Amino acid sequence: MRLLRIRLRDFRGVHDREVHLAESGVTVLEGENEVGKTSTVVALDLLIDFRDDSKAAPVRGAAPAGRDAGPEVEAEFVTGPYHVVYRKRWLRRRLTELHVTGPTTEQLAGREAHDRLLAILDETMDRDLWLALRVEQHTPLGQVDLGGHDALTRALDRAAGGETVGPAVDAAAEGLVERALAEVRRYHGGHGRPVGPLREAGDRVAAARTEADAAAAAVSEVERDVDLRAELDREATGLAEERRAQNARVRELEDRWSALQARQQEVTTSAERAEAARERAGRATERQDARAALVAAAATAEQRAARARETLEGLEAGDQARREDLAERRTEADRALAASDAATAAARTAAAELAAARDRAELADLRGRLRRAETAEEARREAAREAGGPCADAAAVERLEGLDRAVVQAEAELAAGAATVEVTGLGDRTAVAVDGTTREVADGESTTLPVADAVTIDVPGAVRMTVRPGLDGEAARRRVADARTAREQACAALGVADVAAARAASRAAGEAASRVRELAAVVERELGGRPLDDVRGAIATLAERIPAEAAEPAPTRRRGARRPAPDEPGLFEEAGLLDDASGDPEPEDLEPLRLEAVRTLDAADEAHRVARGAEEAWRRLDASVTTAGADVVAARTALAVARSEADRRTGELREARAEYPDDALAAAATDALARARRYEADHEQRAAALEADDPTTVEALYATAKRAVDSLTQRTADVERRRAEVTGRLQVAGGEGRHDRHAAARTELAAAEREHASVSRRAAAAVRLHDTLARRRDEVRRAYVAPFRREVERLARIVFGPSLALEVDPALRIVSRTLNGVTVPFDALSTGAKEQLGLCARLAVAALVDAEDGVPVLIDDALGHSDPGRLERLAAVFGAAAAGSSHQVVVLTCTPARYRGIGANRTVTLNPSYPPPQAVPAADEEPPDTDASDPTSTGSAEFRAG
Amino acid sequence: MRFVHTADWQLGMTRRFLGAGRVGQAVGEAQARFAQARLDAVAALGRVAGDEGAAFVVVCGDVFESNLVGPDVVGRACEALRSVPVPVLLLPGNHDPADASLVTRRADFVRRCPPHVTVLDTPGVHPVAPGVEVVAAPWATKRPLSDLVGDRLRALEPAPEGVVRVLAGHGAVDVLSPDERNPAVIGTAECRAALADGRVHYVALGDRHSTWQLHGEPRIAYSGAPEVTSHEETDPGNVLVVDVGPDGAASVRPVRVGRWAFTREHALADSDDDLAALDARLDALDAPERTALRLAVEGTLTLRQRARLDEITEAHAPVLAALEVDLSGVVTRPDDADVEALGLSGFAADAAQELAAAARDDADPAALDALALLHRLAVTR
Repeated sequence: MRLLRIRLRDFRGVHDREVHLAESGVTVLEGENEVGKTSTVVALDLLIDFRDDSKAAPVRGAAPAGRDAGPEVEAEFVTGPYHVVYRKRWLRRRLTELHVTGPTTEQLAGREAHDRLLAILDETMDRDLWLALRVEQHTPLGQVDLGGHDALTRALDRAAGGETVGPAVDAAAEGLVERALAEVRRYHGGHGRPVGPLREAGDRVAAARTEADAAAAAVSEVERDVDLRAELDREATGLAEERRAQNARVRELEDRWSALQARQQEVTTSAERAEAARERAGRATERQDARAALVAAAATAEQRAARARETLEGLEAGDQARREDLAERRTEADRALAASDAATAAARTAAAELAAARDRAELADLRGRLRRAETAEEARREAAREAGGPCADAAAVERLEGLDRAVVQAEAELAAGAATVEVTGLGDRTAVAVDGTTREVADGESTTLPVADAVTIDVPGAVRMTVRPGLDGEAARRRVADARTAREQACAALGVADVAAARAASRAAGEAASRVRELAAVVERELGGRPLDDVRGAIATLAERIPAEAAEPAPTRRRGARRPAPDEPGLFEEAGLLDDASGDPEPEDLEPLRLEAVRTLDAADEAHRVARGAEEAWRRLDASVTTAGADVVAARTALAVARSEADRRTGELREARAEYPDDALAAAATDALARARRYEADHEQRAAALEADDPTTVEALYATAKRAVDSLTQRTADVERRRAEVTGRLQVAGGEGRHDRHAAARTELAAAEREHASVSRRAAAAVRLHDTLARRRDEVRRAYVAPFRREVERLARIVFGPSLALEVDPALRIVSRTLNGVTVPFDALSTGAKEQLGLCARLAVAALVDAEDGVPVLIDDALGHSDPGRLERLAAVFGAAAAGSSHQVVVLTCTPARYRGIGANRTVTLNPSYPPPQAVPAADEEPPDTDASDPTSTGSAEFRAG
Repeated sequence: MRFVHTADWQLGMTRRFLGAGRVGQAVGEAQARFAQARLDAVAALGRVAGDEGAAFVVVCGDVFESNLVGPDVVGRACEALRSVPVPVLLLPGNHDPADASLVTRRADFVRRCPPHVTVLDTPGVHPVAPGVEVVAAPWATKRPLSDLVGDRLRALEPAPEGVVRVLAGHGAVDVLSPDERNPAVIGTAECRAALADGRVHYVALGDRHSTWQLHGEPRIAYSGAPEVTSHEETDPGNVLVVDVGPDGAASVRPVRVGRWAFTREHALADSDDDLAALDARLDALDAPERTALRLAVEGTLTLRQRARLDEITEAHAPVLAALEVDLSGVVTRPDDADVEALGLSGFAADAAQELAAAARDDADPAALDALALLHRLAVTR
């Protein structure tokens, strides 16, 4: 089909517009938004699809807004051999007109026209392809579904060279594949899993087989039980037989065993009798032995008693001799003790004397020390008194010297300020008395004297000159007088005449203080730090302790002692005190006393040692005497015991002999032994006879036979029990209808298997059919995939470059794109690349399809995702697609720049087409071409040759 | 002395081709009717016995299909026995041997068993009426190790004067089943000898479901089953009315009591005419509701003819008690017209051609099925 012309009237926003399209090649319709580009496409669909009496939503949507006019579309096109002008108006003043101008002229209207047109289109045009090659606004320009389009497949079939089989593809055949697949799906899910009837049939077979197996098992269980029961019956019969035979055998053995048991009893009895006789013989022998032992014991006891008597006698003799010796020793010890006591008394006396002498010496020493301390103390107190005088105060003496210096200063000041008298010697040594003081004045020598006060100068003999100071020296003189008065008062306070005396007194006080310290040291040394009263107390204690007679020698010796002279100057006295105790009485000579005491003590020790030795010797002897006495007592006791034992034994023996004399006992023993031997022989004989008849074997046989009977009884009971069990089971099973169940189960299994076979066959048929159909279809498709792919690749290489390769599946879908060796699935490509490939695919189809079969490729504002570089190449694609082909491409765009480079055969700029003002008569519909830019004019298209 | 000789009732038997209920459900409708028919046959032979004035009815083994039939089968069997107006003697056979599970010793049978019924479960002579003795040779196990009938006969002295003796036995006779490995085969020579010297006067046998008499000796006979049990049987559905005297003179007369037919048919199908003839034949079947038909078809058909054949058999199946069609002899060769009739084009036509070729040349059944399916899908388009 080729569109030549489309005219819209009162269609949506378009008042009236006619567009002429290039018969082949690219026509670009460009215009602003809402100018009615898309309406042009919509109008074509309405024209074909909706009858003029339709009030469907798309028809109503095409009515112009706000105006009471029916939308009208007129199209002129060539399709197949037909050249057609077709016009329709809906809603208002409806009409349908069809003018066919070739190959034969037809003129139709109304319903006839509509139907005739559809018939023409069905005859000449692949309408699915027409829709498929269209790219709507705002829909992604992606994969195009091209499978099953008549025109395309015819074209591809031609391209593949497959002419001979006639029309290659039938859309109905495609539907058959779908139906065959649906049939397969009835039986097989994913992965060949059985579903629906096939699965049900399989389940039925499985269930039936399970049931048949169970039923067969139930039946064979009964059959086994029947066999078992027969077996048990046989066994029971055999067992009864066996028991009868075994019972007879038991009875026979029992008789033999009973007889043997009686004899066994006899043997046992004889054995017991022999045993009793052996015991009696043993007892007689024992009594004989006991008698002999008793005789021996009596003799032994008698011997022991005799030995004890001898021992006692020896001991008693030794004891007497030791007692005599003991008395002697006792006397000796007493003597030595007395001598020791005397020596001890002498030693004690000598020690007493020595102690008394020592006390006296100490008393004398203490008394001397006391006396010296008292003297020193006294001297110390005296010196302290001296040291404590007024001049002892060093500060007071200092002050006095200060006052003295003040006097001298005052006098000096007076002299300095006073008039002077110069006395000059005129002759040889003249004596002059100045204020009473005589001095000699040599010739030429002069002395200057200050006249502080009235100075009297006497030249002896000659004159008395009194020089008095004038009034001007009065103040100085009064200050001197005041200073002197103060000095005199201070001297008086100190009790001294003048300053020199004060200095002497101060020095004396210092010396006295040092003496006080020295004397205190003396007292300290003499008393050893003890207060005087302590020393006095010690003296009193000592004096009391010394008895009067012991103190007797002391006065004689004290007479020789030097007595101190009380009138001697104290200085010496004091010196003596400091030196030693020269004033003490002479000490007593203690040495002879000490020697005496030592000697007597030694003698006492010796005497004591001797006495101790004697006593010990006595005591030792005494102890041995005591021990020997105990031995004697023990020996006496032993004798008594031995005697008593000997008597008892003798008595016992006597009594025993009175009862049984020794020879009677011997006869009884011999007799008993003989009887025992007899009985034993009898028993052995019987036992040997019994053993010869082998009672053990008979007993074993008997026991075995009895056990066999028991075992048979047991087995019989067991068989009976099992038989009862089986019988019970059979009774139960008999009423269960197991045969019926088994028969029903087998019938069901056979039916289920038949059904399964039938369903499986149907499923296999479906699979086979689908496989065959699909394989055939794919073969056909593969045949025309190649030319399609070649054409798409040819175009796409312009965009993507020469390395591009595409994979296309039998449904003519692009599977993947390979570029520079990198393969990317179509779905993973960018939107832009998908768009470009989609466009290439459509243009390829258009280029492939036969010119007569072809339909226009309609592209409504696509390629929004392509960059300028690709756009340029896409433009070349349009050109390449057009080359050598006569198909029609219509591009609608609001951005003309996108399609500038495509070399359009015709570019139509669409301008708004508004309705004229009310005043303008609507009949004026076909004005001559006017200025296209005039917005109020009837819309028209401006044609430019592409 | 007249009595009725029958055998092989095999009550409780089912036949697979009569259809199955699902597991746990009651048996199919045809199956139930067949079971009832077998009980009806017992009642019918009872009427025959009454009408003919028979002294008794002896059933020579396999009264029940198994010793393990259900209580319902036993109960209905007892009811059917009750309707027989003369004494009935039941002999255990190989299906219901007198072992520990013997059905006629079961409590449910004993409780319902009518008093005129005797079970011959012990071997030996059973007096049934004055001057009439029945010698029983029952099966004690499923696998006897000797000729039970021969054993019985050898143990007998000639019958006393004026006494009619009938031997009741069960099993295959040597002339029909010359199987040397089977020790239980009944020796006909022994039977003839016993008949000759008057130990017995008639040998009544069971086990064979078709009526049969030993050639030249009508006194050795199988009565056959009173109602058909298998397609293999040649003359089922009868009982034997036997007249026998102490002198050995005997007459044996079969009387039909069965009403069902298990039949085999063979049909040639090579053309549309053949198919029409087959259809007519099936239409003409007598009592189809009591007929289980095994139909073997043979011939070469096109795809359309094959569909027609299927249609014919499917149309008749619900009317018959059972219809088993054996199509192994049918060769289906799709012709070009078959393919063209599909009205296909494009690759679908190619596919149809391919399948047709496979079905025709390789006799590929799956391809034929696929083609048939394609036919269906294309038609319902």
